[in-house]
Amino acid sequence: MARFGLLRRWWQRYTAQILGGVGVVALAVYWQTTQAWVLRELYRSLQGGRVPDTRLVDARVQELEVQVQALQLQNRQLQQLLKYQQQMPLATVATTVVGRSAGHWWQQIWVGEGSTKGIMPGAVVLAPGGVVGRVLDVTPHTSRVLLVTDPSSKVGVMVNRSRAMGILVGQGTEQTVVEFFDKNPDVKPGDALVTSPFSTIFPAGIAVGKVESIDWRAMPAPRAVVQLYAPVDRLEWVLVQSYGAKSPLLHP
Amino acid sequence: MVSAWAALALLPLRWPGMELAGIGPDWPLIWVVAWSVKRTAWQGLIAGVTLGVWQDALVNPGEGWWPSHALGLGVVGVLTALLQKDRLIQEDFISVALIVFAMAVISETVMAVQWSLLGHRLLGQIWWDHQRLTLASAILSSLWAPLVYVPLSRLWYND
Repeated sequence: MARFGLLRRWWQRYTAQILGGVGVVALAVYWQTTQAWVLRELYRSLQGGRVPDTRLVDARVQELEVQVQALQLQNRQLQQLLKYQQQMPLATVATTVVGRSAGHWWQQIWVGEGSTKGIMPGAVVLAPGGVVGRVLDVTPHTSRVLLVTDPSSKVGVMVNRSRAMGILVGQGTEQTVVEFFDKNPDVKPGDALVTSPFSTIFPAGIAVGKVESIDWRAMPAPRAVVQLYAPVDRLEWVLVQSYGAKSPLLHP
Repeated sequence: MVSAWAALALLPLRWPGMELAGIGPDWPLIWVVAWSVKRTAWQGLIAGVTLGVWQDALVNPGEGWWPSHALGLGVVGVLTALLQKDRLIQEDFISVALIVFAMAVISETVMAVQWSLLGHRLLGQIWWDHQRLTLASAILSSLWAPLVYVPLSRLWYND
């Protein structure tokens, strides 16, 4: 009987704490499944503001320039590869960057437009200069973008001059690295890199960066250090282009 | 609660002067330390795990296995609470800054261990990043800690 008394008192004393603790953790886990929807919306609404008009005009010009470049490259490729299909973007949105990674080990940005403007996960994010990343997920008014400098980001790229193929992998710093497929790729410092036509995630022909130096002795294949054209660490506004097909986002 | 939200919301903001080598202060860490300094280990654990899961929601992609901040912050919460229980350290904002420095190192190391176990990234790169991140985060977080700790402690511990 004494045992029960002890148990009951212990139970009475600690129930509230235990339940409270468990409840709080459960709520937090639920939050994680919704990707902090509420917090991000709140954060965005506190920021307020729209993209200034002058920026929109410049953004439109930039967008057209990028499209022109892409179309030119495409034409050349179409003449060489007979069967080729390019997707046209469903939605193109110019938006400001409202935040940076909320964790040290990630390179992400938050942008100020979301699903209400038609942005979808997997959308390509461009800045003046070229590719900067891909949209991970969206809420009605924000999107989270994985930058190409993040170690989880892999972009298929191609040397413009010689069509040597490789994969651009982020390093967590401003420098990114291209890992080539061949042991002897035709590449030299100063070569321009664009997205490769074999990438299932990015449309082809978008400018990426410039080769800075090449490590010929790397294993299993040579690697090159790339300087990105787009100022990834100083981004202020970006263009987001959504395509219809949903493609696998990350390859852990 | 509101202060916890604010700590999380501060993370994406990078005001000038707050960044060191591209890293910002670890606000949830400072909050967890401020919270756990005068509370039991259980409460510190709950606070750390909760804030860690919230931070995961902000950063981690939806699918797949990724390192969780909950582990690191949970450990930090427990350790901080235990420190005070032993009455080893006096309680003023300088000692809190030192605690935050040490806890930042611990938290980032826990993250690095998780990355190493999961195998998404190369080991060499993880631990190289770990040095850079830990140093920047520890310095920045401990410098900004008093600013957060003083108002919070007034708010919570006024008696």
